[in-house]
Amino acid sequence: MSSTSNAPTGNNRVRIVVATSVMLTFISYWRAAAVILNDLGSSAFYAGGIAEQAVGKSAPWFVLAVMLFAFAVRAVYVESCSMFVRGGVYRVVKEALGGTLAKLSVSALMFDYILTGPVSGVSAGQYIAGLINDFISVADTHGWIPIAVHRMFHGTPQVGVNGTAVVFGVAVTLYFWWENIKGIEESSEKALWVMKITTVMVVMLIGWSLFTLLKVGGHLPPFPTLGNIHYSDESLGFWKHSKLPHIFGVLGLIIGFGHSVLAMSGEESLAQVYRELAHPKLKNLKRTAIVIGVYSFVFTGLVSLLAVMLIPDDVRMKVYSDNLIAGLAMYMVGPQILRLAFRAFVVVVGFLILSGAVNTAIVGSNGVLNRVSEDGVLADWFRRPHKRYGTTYRIINLIVGLQLFTIIVSWGNIYTLGEAYAFGVVWSFVFKTISMLVLRYRYKGERNWKVPPNLHLFGVEIPIGLASVGMVLLSTAIVNLFTKSVATVSGIIFSVVFFGIFTFSEHVNRRKHADHAAQMKEQFQLQQAESVGRETIGIRSGNILVPVRDYNTLNHLKWVLQGTDTHEQDVVVMTARVSQFGTAAYGLSAEQVFSDYEQTLFTRTVSVAESFGKKISLLVVPARDPWSAVAQTAHNLESSTVVAGLSSKITAAEQAFSLGTAWEAIPEPKQQFLLQIVQPDAKVETFRIGPHTPTMKNEDVVLLHRLWLNVTREPGLENVHHHDILTEALTRFDRDFGALDHEQIVKELKRRGSEGGPLPVRRIADQIPTVQPEPNRPDRDQDQQAESSKTKSSANKKIDSE
Amino acid sequence: MSFTVLLIKILEYMFVAGWIGSAIVLVLTGVEDVGTLLDKEDEASR
Repeated sequence: MSSTSNAPTGNNRVRIVVATSVMLTFISYWRAAAVILNDLGSSAFYAGGIAEQAVGKSAPWFVLAVMLFAFAVRAVYVESCSMFVRGGVYRVVKEALGGTLAKLSVSALMFDYILTGPVSGVSAGQYIAGLINDFISVADTHGWIPIAVHRMFHGTPQVGVNGTAVVFGVAVTLYFWWENIKGIEESSEKALWVMKITTVMVVMLIGWSLFTLLKVGGHLPPFPTLGNIHYSDESLGFWKHSKLPHIFGVLGLIIGFGHSVLAMSGEESLAQVYRELAHPKLKNLKRTAIVIGVYSFVFTGLVSLLAVMLIPDDVRMKVYSDNLIAGLAMYMVGPQILRLAFRAFVVVVGFLILSGAVNTAIVGSNGVLNRVSEDGVLADWFRRPHKRYGTTYRIINLIVGLQLFTIIVSWGNIYTLGEAYAFGVVWSFVFKTISMLVLRYRYKGERNWKVPPNLHLFGVEIPIGLASVGMVLLSTAIVNLFTKSVATVSGIIFSVVFFGIFTFSEHVNRRKHADHAAQMKEQFQLQQAESVGRETIGIRSGNILVPVRDYNTLNHLKWVLQGTDTHEQDVVVMTARVSQFGTAAYGLSAEQVFSDYEQTLFTRTVSVAESFGKKISLLVVPARDPWSAVAQTAHNLESSTVVAGLSSKITAAEQAFSLGTAWEAIPEPKQQFLLQIVQPDAKVETFRIGPHTPTMKNEDVVLLHRLWLNVTREPGLENVHHHDILTEALTRFDRDFGALDHEQIVKELKRRGSEGGPLPVRRIADQIPTVQPEPNRPDRDQDQQAESSKTKSSANKKIDSE
Repeated sequence: MSFTVLLIKILEYMFVAGWIGSAIVLVLTGVEDVGTLLDKEDEASR
């Protein structure tokens, strides 16, 4: 066993293993696709309108081209993820082009992320304001608006669309600001739910639109030739007075493409969710890429096309430029009330997905800034955790402050916001693709997949596919610099300011980090480990795992130390540092995981252990969900028992249920363990986590014995055992429950349940009411070790309730 | 030929050549994607 202990080592330092990888519950590619589409799909609500305002009626062809091209961009991300598990822009650019350009690229990415919030929040507000106004107009045509109100507003009352959008955008941003300060629990479940509803809307929208086209007919938008592209003054930016865009045909295509490129924003999320994808990772990443590719092509691309085909020219840009899908809903065939109802549905879906994108923007920006702070390019002041919630509230405040400033300055002008947004989107892609090109020659590590085609000439590889994608992106980004004056000016100012902050912080941090490291060295020795394992910590199987979080409630640790001989059984004290969704994409430094709070917590923990004179091992793990962290750590460390304190929010049974649920998510093979919840008055409730022998009632034992007696009287069955009877009974039960008597069995079990009083929540963890392990009981440890080593859980996942 | 016109010409060539190459990327990855979709082995649970 290693010297992991609270007992001071030769140099008076306590070793703490800090896992730097976030403990994850791996997700399927469907869930991963849902998470990405919450960001990527939201652009369908505004991309078409923005593109048409810029280049006229042929805009849908550009949007479709962008969505097609997005498949190729996705291939670049697949290649980067096949090289680095955390293959986001910062990591890739830093690896290829060095720290300075990485800081610049991340500044562009931050511009993209920070604008995602305002553009999504304002767009949702535009949809809501549009719906309110249409409802009022319909009410007015039916004479439901009182004349007095009419007079007051000098006509049909209408809410100010931009003003309403600003108020809504600010409100949503503030809501998610508070949720992020508290440490919002992001889940792929929620994302999947939103995408299911969105899919219902998309299917209805496309189906109804096609039916309308069949009924009333329609024309395809004009193809994007030089004569068909109609630039607005804003869409030419610095070339407003130049003849160039009207002379060069291909230049017109680049301009149009550049004004539509924001339709593929959100691709970076692919790199973020990669680490959380289930095995086989690369194959599932490809599947995710296909799902999001096809979905966004159909949703964003096809809907933009249908909008131009169905909404009359005279109202499309005049009334519905900022809420194109709502306009599409209003120009379907069918009764007005049905169309209005569908429009309301569109607005609800838009609200859900766009609000989700506001949150994604805050979470994503926070994740990126936390990631760059790992390299010391952001001052520690920003990273100080919130006293109560432990979140990086200063970074969140900075992001949200910038977003609110953007919303108010733009005053709900979705076009300006979208144009600026595209700056960050396209330049972060450019940096990424160029870096990937450089890495084709510089990177010698593992690479499981490459963007095709690749030509080999005289032993030199020529990455034709990658270079092609890079050329399209670079030419578009350069033309955008000329045609998007607001985006260019604001984007450059923003990027330069952020770059300046990063560079200055890096300079200041170099000295500070050296001081901090020296200070830390006096007390703790942090040992970074990619993952948690027994060997890493140097402990034996059958150990006791003690999760701690609040340094004021360490009674359960005292209880464990009181009753455990640490020479015989190891005690591991762990704390889970909760990270938000997406941060798993970024590697965390030991300093990020082991903050001031963890330092205080472990100082107290060590002093408790020292007061008992017993050895403990210390562990910090970053995790998305504390229960998953405990379950996975217990699994990885082959712990026999987890001892936790009673939560102030939920009951012991609910704690056990949560841990049991997390245990269920661990892939097979896995081991069962005991959970003991120690209450403040030292009473202990014990639960078994995982499959186990049920507690049998006396009459059941008698029944089993009687059956055995009867069976063994039959000729040839003399050698049957009690367990054979149980096996036969359970096999028959399984068969009948699956088909024959399902209803009857459910009814019977309900009756039995009600006889025994109200049923608790579904028990994944089964309480052991009779077992109250006493502190100092010498045989307890052996019992538990024997118990845990007895059962390696098999395919039977469902655990019997009482 | 002024610098701006030269720049535009270069950008135009880059864009067109890039799109031709990207179209090849789309076809090749598309074929691979069909294989990935049809391959049910190792498919993660939903």
